[in-house]
Amino acid sequence: MKWSQFFNTSIGKKLLVGATGLFLCSFVIVHLAGNFSLLKEDGGEAFNTYAAFMGHNGLIQFIAWGLKIVILIHAVIAIQLTIRNRAARPVKYAVRPGNKTSSWYSRQMAVMGSVLFIFIVIHLSQFWWAMHYGDIGKVSYGAVTEVGNLYEVVWFAFKESWIVALYVLGMVALSFHLIHGFKSACQTFGLNHPKYNGLISFIGVWFFGILIPLGFAVIPVVIYIKQI
Amino acid sequence: MKLTLKVWRQQNSQDKGRFESYQVSDVSTDMSFLELFDVLNERLINEGKDPIAFDHDCREGICGACSMYINGRAHGPWHETTTCQLHMRAYNDGDTIVVEPWRAAAFPVIKDLAVDRSAFDRIIQAGGYISVNTGNAVDANAIPIDKVDADAAFAAAACIGCGACVAACKNSSAMLFTSAKISQLALLPQGRPEHKQRAEDMVAQMDKEGFGSCTNTGACEAECPKGISITNIARLNREFITAGFTSK
Repeated sequence: MKWSQFFNTSIGKKLLVGATGLFLCSFVIVHLAGNFSLLKEDGGEAFNTYAAFMGHNGLIQFIAWGLKIVILIHAVIAIQLTIRNRAARPVKYAVRPGNKTSSWYSRQMAVMGSVLFIFIVIHLSQFWWAMHYGDIGKVSYGAVTEVGNLYEVVWFAFKESWIVALYVLGMVALSFHLIHGFKSACQTFGLNHPKYNGLISFIGVWFFGILIPLGFAVIPVVIYIKQI
Repeated sequence: MKLTLKVWRQQNSQDKGRFESYQVSDVSTDMSFLELFDVLNERLINEGKDPIAFDHDCREGICGACSMYINGRAHGPWHETTTCQLHMRAYNDGDTIVVEPWRAAAFPVIKDLAVDRSAFDRIIQAGGYISVNTGNAVDANAIPIDKVDADAAFAAAACIGCGACVAACKNSSAMLFTSAKISQLALLPQGRPEHKQRAEDMVAQMDKEGFGSCTNTGACEAECPKGISITNIARLNREFITAGFTSK
């Protein structure tokens, strides 16, 4: 089988979705680690210098653009597969099993993924666009050259309760998407073994599914509470 | 017991199809689900009406013919049970039972509840065999096989090709079936020489038949009357990925 044929099969496409998905899983860890500096009440020094470093380092910029392409590949192939899956059952059942044979969130990957995609677009236009192309205030810390004050932009945004609610909602979608997504990607790679299944399930559900989204969601909530 | 049956009636593959309701009284709890249909069909024939077409053969849970999607469940509500082994004690007096055929583009309806599952045969024909004669049964232990592997191959070989996995899957995916057929050969030494070609050919045929892809919801495993595990799907993925990366 040629590569072109291989990546055109259902499993080949799933492999691409899984691989890009696992890459995105590694990204959320890095993103969350950086975000915690938002909670440091130092007038934004830690966060702004971190943001400036991320925004100007060549390698990180390369990865950042790669990341956006990876998200698009992940979404486009997943949509292709979903269209194929829908076509595989042209006449729907009158009665469905509900949650008796599978978990609700495992059937909602496309829905949660779409919610996440919309969230990412809003999130990027709000902060990433402001940082790179917007007109935001500048600050300088000691000897360090002037940097954009993204810290102020973020704290200002999270004064609004509806924006906080939107971010929490986005993280609920991330939670459900990853609870199934991590395990599902491992299964697609053929990683299913009695000695490691427990660990894969634990990482998928507790680390990626609960801890990471919770960590992301806590930040806007804390910033909101501090500004009441 | 008195029951109301809502059964899918469809003249042929071109017909749009519709549900029809039937009242059946004097249903014994000892009847199998198929016997309920026998009684109903007898009545329909006596009334000069067209009996309901449904597949059945062995009626002892091993042929895989009795494809009925009952109240949203493949082969009804009981765990690891075919329709013929489902008994009416699963239901209560006055219940309404909705019976539909397997729904998948790859399984076109022939009539009423009978569907054409020859897509499965074509997947087998694409590679689910060993192409050389492996001879007579050799002496026990002449070919060393790990007991764990032998048991796993046997468990995969328990697949009866009923199509419940496809019926239960939200994507009408045939991955559990294909993975069982690939596993039973991949786990044994006789199946190893052709394992790459087999994985590629069977997956290609599976896609060609119009089955959906697997999203690992596990519904197939939950509904399989023979308890085939989705660990077989992981094995199929490993087989296919290895083949894709290393086949010549």
